[in-house]
Amino acid sequence: MKSRWFARWFVPLGPLAMVLGIVSMGCNESAPQPQEAVTRVAEPGDVIDEDLMVALAQAKNFHHKAKVYMSDGNLADATASVRQILSLRFPAGAPEADDVRLDARALLAKLLVSQGQVEEAMRTVQEGLAQTTRESFFVANLYTVQGEIHEARAAQLDGAGQKTQAIDERRAAIAAYDRSIKINEKLQKQLMERR
Amino acid sequence: MATDDDILTSPVPEPDAEPTAAERAHAKTFADLVDKTLSGRTPAAMSADDRALLEVATVIRVTSGGLPLSPGKQRSIVEDVLASALGGAARGPSGSLPGVTPITAARGRARRVAPWAIAGISTLVAAAAVALLWLRAPTPATPVAHPPSAPTAWLSRPADPMIGPISRERAGDASARLDYIFADRLDGYRARRLTGSAGTAGKPRGGKR
Repeated sequence: MKSRWFARWFVPLGPLAMVLGIVSMGCNESAPQPQEAVTRVAEPGDVIDEDLMVALAQAKNFHHKAKVYMSDGNLADATASVRQILSLRFPAGAPEADDVRLDARALLAKLLVSQGQVEEAMRTVQEGLAQTTRESFFVANLYTVQGEIHEARAAQLDGAGQKTQAIDERRAAIAAYDRSIKINEKLQKQLMERR
Repeated sequence: MATDDDILTSPVPEPDAEPTAAERAHAKTFADLVDKTLSGRTPAAMSADDRALLEVATVIRVTSGGLPLSPGKQRSIVEDVLASALGGAARGPSGSLPGVTPITAARGRARRVAPWAIAGISTLVAAAAVALLWLRAPTPATPVAHPPSAPTAWLSRPADPMIGPISRERAGDASARLDYIFADRLDGYRARRLTGSAGTAGKPRGGKR
C-alpha cells in the first residue's frame, strides 16, 4: 500500500524536482554579481596615498633614530629601533612595504651579528626570505647579508676548532652570495630590456 | 386504558401532578419510536398523532444541532443542488444526472490523474527551461570603464628600478635608501595632490580619498 502511494506521488513528481533545479540554476546564473569584493589585493594602479607616506615617514624616523644610537655606540637601542620598522602598518599590498621591511631586516641582521647574536641574525634573515612575494634587489641584498652571517658562523667555528663545520658554513656563504648575484643579474637584465 | 386521542384531547395535567400508568406507558412507547427513528428503523405504520409528534421531535433535534448527515445523504443533497442548477434534468438510472458525474467517482478519478497531470506539466516546463537555457545566447560582457591611467610617479610600486643592485659594502645602508624612496614617493604624492585631476586618475587604495 505504502509503496503504491510512493510510486503514485513521487515518481511523477521527479520532473517537478527537475524543473525546480533548473529554475534555481537559472536564478543563480542571473543573480547580480557583487560589484566589488569586500577585500582585494592592491593593484599596481593604486596611487601613493597618505597611509603609505605616513608608514614610509615612520620607517625613515626609526632608521634615523637607529643611526643616532649607532653613532653613540648604543647598538642595543639601535637594534630595537630598527626592529620597530618590522611592525609598522603599511597599506595592504604596497610593494614599498616589502622593500622597506627587507632592507630593515638586512640592517637588523648586521647589527645583531656585530653584537655576537649570529643565530638571531640568521633567524631574522630567514624569516624575511620566507615572506618574500617577489624577487627584488632587496631580496638579493638579504641573501648577501645571509652570506655574511654564514661567514661569521665559520669564523666562530674556526675559533672553536671545528674546521669541518666551518668549511660547510663557508660553502653556505658562497651559495647565498651566488643566489644574490643571480637575482641581481636577472633583475638588471629585465630593467635593461624595459629600457 | 387511555388511547392517543385521550392524551391529546384530555385536559392538561398540573405540572406537579403524578403521571398515570397510561401516560408512562405512552411515553415509553413514544420514546422507543423516537429511538428507532433516529437509528434509521422507523416503523412502517404508526398513528397520525405519533407521526406528528415524531416530526416535531425530529425538528427539535435538528434545530438543536448535532445531527450530522451521512456521507450518502450529503452527496445526494449536493447532487440535487447541482441538478437544479443545471436545469432540473431527469436523473439517470444510478440516481445521478446523466450529465453530472457523481462526486465520489470524480474525486477518485482526480486522485488517480492528479500526479500524472503534475508530472506532465512539470515535464513540459522542464523541457521549456532546458530549451531556454540551451538557446539563450551568451550576453556579451559589458566593457568595464577603466579610469584614465595615472602617471607612474603617482603610483605605489616596487623601489627596485630606482635603487638598483645593492653592493655588499652598502648592504646595511638601509637608511639612505629609504630616504631616497621616501623623497621619490613624496614627489609623486605631491604631484597627484596638487594636480587638478588627482581625483579622476589612478585608484586610491581601498577606495579612500
